Amino acid sequence: MLTWNLAFKNVTKAGLRTWLNVFILSFAFVLIIWTDGMYDGMSKQVIGDMVDNSIGGGQFWQSNYDPFDPFSLDDSHAEIPGNFQNLINTGKATPKLIRSCAMFPNGRVQSALLNGIDPEQNILNFPSSALKENGNGFIPALIGGRMAKNTGLTIGDIVTVRWRNVNGTFDAADVEIVNIFNTNVQAIDNGQLYIPLAKLQDMMEVSNEATIITLQKGIETIPAGSPSWQFKDHAYLLKDFYDYLDRKTVGSNIMYAILLGMALLAIFDTQVLAIFRRRKEMGTMMALGMTRGRVIRLFTLEGTMHGLLAIVLGAIYGIPILIWSASVGIGMPDTVDQTGLSLSTTLYPVYGVGLFFSTSLILFITVVIVSFLPTRKIAKLNPTDALRGKMS
Amino acid sequence: MTASELIVTKKLTKQYPIGGNFFTALREVDLCIDQCEFTGIVGPSGSGKTTLLNIIGALDAPTNGNAKVLGSEIGKMNHVEAAKLRNQYLGFIFQTYNLLPVYNVFENVEFPLLLQHIESSKRVDMVNKALEWVGLSEKAKSKPAQLSGGESQRVAIARAIVKQPKIVLADEPTANLDAQNSHHILKTMVTLNEELGTTFVFSTHDEKVISYLRRKIKLSDGEIVDDTIVN
Repeated sequence: MLTWNLAFKNVTKAGLRTWLNVFILSFAFVLIIWTDGMYDGMSKQVIGDMVDNSIGGGQFWQSNYDPFDPFSLDDSHAEIPGNFQNLINTGKATPKLIRSCAMFPNGRVQSALLNGIDPEQNILNFPSSALKENGNGFIPALIGGRMAKNTGLTIGDIVTVRWRNVNGTFDAADVEIVNIFNTNVQAIDNGQLYIPLAKLQDMMEVSNEATIITLQKGIETIPAGSPSWQFKDHAYLLKDFYDYLDRKTVGSNIMYAILLGMALLAIFDTQVLAIFRRRKEMGTMMALGMTRGRVIRLFTLEGTMHGLLAIVLGAIYGIPILIWSASVGIGMPDTVDQTGLSLSTTLYPVYGVGLFFSTSLILFITVVIVSFLPTRKIAKLNPTDALRGKMS
Repeated sequence: MTASELIVTKKLTKQYPIGGNFFTALREVDLCIDQCEFTGIVGPSGSGKTTLLNIIGALDAPTNGNAKVLGSEIGKMNHVEAAKLRNQYLGFIFQTYNLLPVYNVFENVEFPLLLQHIESSKRVDMVNKALEWVGLSEKAKSKPAQLSGGESQRVAIARAIVKQPKIVLADEPTANLDAQNSHHILKTMVTLNEELGTTFVFSTHDEKVISYLRRKIKLSDGEIVDDTIVN
């Protein structure tokens, strides 16, 4: 109790020296939580958008389908099995048929993927209802904002699309752009053209066939697949993003280490400086009858108190800042679209209780360690040398 | 060692390693200091005064020979025992005062009592009494940085005597003080010696201090060359 009281007295009476250290520590503490919150927010946003807009609760792929091989698209379609049809009929799944095509916007030719989707689907957060019959004879078509920008197409434009049916015969039709949607998910935007599923099935001369069956998010039971239809779960469908996160995690860990290092350097610096600047004080304490062990405990406790005060101070000014930051988000530069990730233009940090407690605990433990290490040197300090202000 | 002999050294030798050799700071010092003495170890710089005082104060250990303080042999004590001896029976006064900078005068004087776990109300009485002895009651709330050299040394004296130790060891206590303050400090210590019966041992080469001593032990090159009782 005496050591605690003395440490508390030393810390509170040291004034500016204490508060500078505590502020630097608290700043690093808040920054670590904010940075981690940003990564968590980014992960949640990207995964959330991918699930809502593209992959739902997982997908069944026709066995020939390979998104990285455009030539596979000619053969990557098969009849929808009965068990999937039941799910589709009950609104728990939605089919998509994909075909490569050439389109001719403003006299230019451009490759694209022709996606046949069900206008009535509500599995994905996608304005597919715009594909309901437009009544003017043109095939209604949807494109994303990036595709619109690349092709120069606007709502109401008519564009010719050419494709090959299952027999290899070229055919062409005019489609009308009935809506342009905005999405963070580039994979459903760049080079993608959406028309009604039934229409594409007619155009390809296939009946009740699809390339992908997307399941409802949170579906309780995943139906059995077959050699023709293979299930792809979130781990598979989000692999690219998880790989990116892993690579980012290395960077994030380096950042974390730098911030923690800053915090530890502050306290380590304080303790090392304390040895050099306060060695006479320690010698005096020993001369007055304080044991070496108590001196070590006293100085370690002082460092630890800096850590505790930093957590309290960080909470006082950090919590409002973190809450504000989570509510208004952090604007991303325009170039964020070039990362290839489904990043939103505004990222909202997400902070969990676990993040707060784990960061506090890590900071606290490391502060205790770096407080103890330099003060351990005091144990070897000869009191007479300490009194002369000299290191032994 | 009789009951009145507080400090006894026999063939006390202290050597410090320097490079591959040793520097001998004290050579076979035989010494006996009794209760209530007002003694000074005098001699030029480098004669071994501070080394002798440090060993008597259990801050250092002899290389050879032995030193007994209040019946305890310094060379055989561990750190905890040495700390206990210093805390309970010894008071220190340093040349540079060595006040704890973040504490005020009251807290500095109170510090040795905290280590003895003396209860709060008794502590307050003892500190106030010590501050009265040195005439600094009105400066109780001042920080060391706000004090003059003389005042700082008086605080150091109050800190040394607050627990009423058997022995006060004063290492060059007037080295940083002017003549007026030096005499004031020394008169205070003489009074304390007479009123409380505290044994004072000085290390000094200051003539002002020497003029107050009742016994002068002269050291030269680590050896006692003269030991004079002043009548």
